[in-house]
Amino acid sequence: MSPSPAHPDAGAARVEALLRELAPRTLGALTRRHGQFDACEDAVQEALLAAALQWPQDGVPADPQAWLLTVAGRRLVDGWRSESARRAREESAAARAVPDAHVAPGADVEAAAPAPEEDDTLALLFLCCHPALSPPSQLALTLRAVGGLTTAQIASAFLVPEATMAQRISRAKARIRDAGTTFALPPAGDRATRLGVVLHVLYLMFNEGYVATAGDTLARVELTREAIRLTRLLRAQLPGDGEVQGLLALMLLTDARRPARVDARGELVPLAEQDRGRWDAGEIAEGVALVGDALARAPLGPYQLQAAIAALHAEAPSADATDWRQIVALYRLLERVAGTNPMVKLNEAVAVAMVDGPRAGLVLLDGLAGGLAESHRLDAVRAHLLERDGDLAGARDAYRAAARRTTSLPERRYLERRAAALPGGDGEA
Amino acid sequence: MKYMVMIYDNAQTRERFFGEEGAELMAEVNAIMKELTDSGELIGGEALADPSNTRTIRPVDGVPAITDGPLAEAKEHFGGYLLLECETIERAAEIARRWPSSRFTPLEVRPVMSADGAEM
Repeated sequence: MSPSPAHPDAGAARVEALLRELAPRTLGALTRRHGQFDACEDAVQEALLAAALQWPQDGVPADPQAWLLTVAGRRLVDGWRSESARRAREESAAARAVPDAHVAPGADVEAAAPAPEEDDTLALLFLCCHPALSPPSQLALTLRAVGGLTTAQIASAFLVPEATMAQRISRAKARIRDAGTTFALPPAGDRATRLGVVLHVLYLMFNEGYVATAGDTLARVELTREAIRLTRLLRAQLPGDGEVQGLLALMLLTDARRPARVDARGELVPLAEQDRGRWDAGEIAEGVALVGDALARAPLGPYQLQAAIAALHAEAPSADATDWRQIVALYRLLERVAGTNPMVKLNEAVAVAMVDGPRAGLVLLDGLAGGLAESHRLDAVRAHLLERDGDLAGARDAYRAAARRTTSLPERRYLERRAAALPGGDGEA
Repeated sequence: MKYMVMIYDNAQTRERFFGEEGAELMAEVNAIMKELTDSGELIGGEALADPSNTRTIRPVDGVPAITDGPLAEAKEHFGGYLLLECETIERAAEIARRWPSSRFTPLEVRPVMSADGAEM
């Protein structure tokens, strides 16, 4: 931030972007000084809300980070005072004095000593993606504590009431406190496993937003943007890590297809039928460069391999002109690296069908029954392959089975449409 | 994933809940509601009034007509619901199994459809 006294023209959107950037640094600095992650997180959230109201009107302060630290520090001390006052009333009149241990050093003094903020953000990510938390809690806490989103924003992105989300966040913080977690990077021996959890949380965050098709799309698309932003942040902290870079590439290459995956009426468009001219060329170029660089210098990992597959799709002029042989090889490599996974097998079957014909793909599907959590996907792939193989009655049955099983409205419409479009059926299309 | 727990009941179940032993049953209900609120899984829920207060709308020769009373003489009526966000349907079914009315009348758990969709 420039040291000029104020920016009276600061729009609310610019202020919000700035606040999101400053949120993890402020929280990191405060938590490292005082411990008590949960109390610090509340204090920072209050400071962010105050800034979001004040800065667009009064201008951004000369040192916005110091402003936030000061306000959050005061809120923290206020919280302790009212807490100890409550205890004093409850316990005894003699406890009226604030215990020394609860008095924070003056917040203004602290703000003068800036923190090594890079380490703080990384430690915060590890903390929010603590293995003691469920994935939904990890997601929510990461968005609030690292992303700087408000509870209301997170609730609307996940389509739940604010009270539900507030409860999820406060419970997650209580869990972390009860687990006795200290605010520090995990020990070197745990680092790789814990980083795996962080990457998975960021991947889930991206996917939550990517599958949005209609309705509250705006709030949900925010999740993909936030996932990409946080993964960029993580990459800046761990520039040598091939999997962090692979995940960022995978997100960019997938997000590039977003403008084409839903048509003007809000209906799903399958990959093979997407208007590739609408794919985001900038995101593709960046993603391809990132995954190429990671594969060239880092140990192989599942995110890099998935990004490499996404890159082959992104660079192909059409579905038929895609290097399916290479994609089959990458899926097999992915299984060797990450272990057997029915979703990977399913995607491999699609690619095999493109290389060796639909029957070869169908044979692979036979081994998959029962293994998939989302069983409608197996039926949907089987339906497509049966259709290509000319078994129209079989295809119709499989499309209808998939349509009944999915819990997604746009998927149901897509599958019903495919079934109805088959010649000789009861459909008009 | 969002799930709806659909709670069915009959006259006997209702009498139990609103009669002598009702306080104990309601204490069970309140304990589960608190647990679901604390866990962040509860999105909403309501209990419906007695089925005798129902208006039914049904097509008669393609024209919707309104009549007094529930759809049909049934052993159980839809009596209320919980809207939950759970990680799995097994978790939602376990919550439904613990709901005190499950000892007397059935419940159903079904996923709620979403507007999200994956590339096929």
